[in-house]
Amino acid sequence: MSTITLYSVAYGLASLLLGALGSILPGAARAAVTNVDVVTGLGVLIFAAILLAASMLNTIVLIWWERKLLGRFMDRRGAMHVGYAGLLQNFADGFKLFRKDTVKPREADALGFFTGPAAYMVTSMIIFGVLPISTGWNSGALPLSLLLALAIFSFAPLFIFVSAWSSNNKYSLMGGMRSAAQMIAYEVPLLLAVVAVVIVSGSFSLTTIVYEQQNYWYWGPLFVALIVFVAAMLAEMERIPFDLPEAEAELVEGWNTEYGGMLFAFFMLADYLRALVGSILVVLLFLGGWTMPSWVPSAATSFPLAGIFWFMLKTYLVFGVFVWIRASLPRVRTDQLLRVGWNRMIPLSLLAVFLAAVLVTVKCVWPFGCVPSMGV
Amino acid sequence: MATPEANEEKPGENSILWVARPMATAARQFTKSLFRPSTIVYPYERLEDPKFRDRLEVASGKPFGVGEVWDNYRGVHALNIATCISCNLCAFSCPDICIDMVTVAGGDPKHPKKCPQIDYGKCSYCGFCSDACPEGCLTMTTRYELSTPKRSEMVYSPEKLYQVFRSKLPMNPIRLARPANEDAILLDPPLCIGCNACARDCPTNCITMLDVPKPEAKPGEKLPRRIWKEPVVNDSDCVRCGTCISVCPKECLFWGTRK
Repeated sequence: MSTITLYSVAYGLASLLLGALGSILPGAARAAVTNVDVVTGLGVLIFAAILLAASMLNTIVLIWWERKLLGRFMDRRGAMHVGYAGLLQNFADGFKLFRKDTVKPREADALGFFTGPAAYMVTSMIIFGVLPISTGWNSGALPLSLLLALAIFSFAPLFIFVSAWSSNNKYSLMGGMRSAAQMIAYEVPLLLAVVAVVIVSGSFSLTTIVYEQQNYWYWGPLFVALIVFVAAMLAEMERIPFDLPEAEAELVEGWNTEYGGMLFAFFMLADYLRALVGSILVVLLFLGGWTMPSWVPSAATSFPLAGIFWFMLKTYLVFGVFVWIRASLPRVRTDQLLRVGWNRMIPLSLLAVFLAAVLVTVKCVWPFGCVPSMGV
Repeated sequence: MATPEANEEKPGENSILWVARPMATAARQFTKSLFRPSTIVYPYERLEDPKFRDRLEVASGKPFGVGEVWDNYRGVHALNIATCISCNLCAFSCPDICIDMVTVAGGDPKHPKKCPQIDYGKCSYCGFCSDACPEGCLTMTTRYELSTPKRSEMVYSPEKLYQVFRSKLPMNPIRLARPANEDAILLDPPLCIGCNACARDCPTNCITMLDVPKPEAKPGEKLPRRIWKEPVVNDSDCVRCGTCISVCPKECLFWGTRK
């Protein structure tokens, strides 16, 4: 096996485990255990477990990364004591939240109160499942993976609204309302910015979009689309300056005011999971994914798991930009968000679509080069 | 009054700058903090470490050095039990009433040696006690790490304060230049009964009981029943602790200026 892929790791582990199990079992049971369907099934389970572990681990490291960066932006140092440079601080915090009691307000609706966080968490995890990480490190070459990811991404306001409404708290309800109102401000420009990428790459598949960027990454020619996408993604992730649903200064803690303990940890994890997915989408659509430009020496791109290394490096740098924006800009008001969304971002995204059409028409743009292959 | 229109975007301003300017500021702050953070990682680094010497100079406007800035920090006390004379002045002067005089080993059974025990839960680190100490045995050091998980551990016994003294921390030098005290213990002779209490309790043994001539009794007059001795105070040895005044049963000793 020349390259390590997610498939090879999962199936290799499954066959190794079942082979070891079969070697100590009698004949009939051995045949049942080492059946190819059983191996495949266990492989799929291991596959899902790897994805889950990778997403959770990256989310926790992302929280650490944000805390360290934000500390420097505020002339602090961030977490310092637990683990090397505070790497284990979030595990300690998570353990503390895990030990806490789950408190439900008496008047709250139990069904919505408890299913809201779970659904929010689960939908955020599903998005991670459709994203390709590197060559061979994806859960299937879905032809419409970009569309699927964005569709699942926009589920969140529904579950936020459900959990906010069933909390039976006016601050929670206001936060949920704001989340729903915010959605109509950013969803249209977000999708229009993606349309520009789709026009140039000619595909809805994230893997294809990455491979279409072999001549030039899209952030240069589609700079307007990148700006609109990042701004709309900030609103989608509900991060400062667009964290209206969770405005600590106005609504106590927004839509998760009534949540404590592990349910709050679910919301927190899901928030950062969505931030991770947002950064990954920026890297996939505009920064060439796991590929590197041709002028990079091949030694830097040919070592084992080099694709994952460069991909994660780009992801964390993009998230660093999100943290930079968070440290710089104040929170906007609802009317300002709507005005920015409709008056500024929609015209800009239409301009981006127009520029993408021009790029496809002229095919070659100095200094970027030529569009490699036009699917349309 | 601010109208809603006042908050609208002004047509002349470039709204790109609203985003660019704060982000440039934050980036500048980030770069500065990356190479020279203001925060000191306290348990691992301390402000008194030599690498932060320049910061101390900037903060105080004075040069860093012994006796200049750092040395007159008022931290935990150091007590030299050997030179303590049990004069009680530290406990008298304490505004927080956090000093108790407790018995330590080394005194004779009739007059036990008493040394200060300090409750740091109450102490305000004003330094009056070390100012008042006539022998210079109770001084303040520069140690400031006194937090303990138990409240009872905040009470420092004389032995514990002596341990601080043994650790030879930099001492607060402010009490070394102590102004001369002009006060003296004066005696109101007719009231004295010569009971020896003042001389007995004087921590510095500077009171001597001297004989006074017994007057001839005139006919019909009754001499007071007393011992015909009177205290004489050696002012150069006296530490002005006032113990003699407080123990005098006839209240015949008082503060005054010797003519």
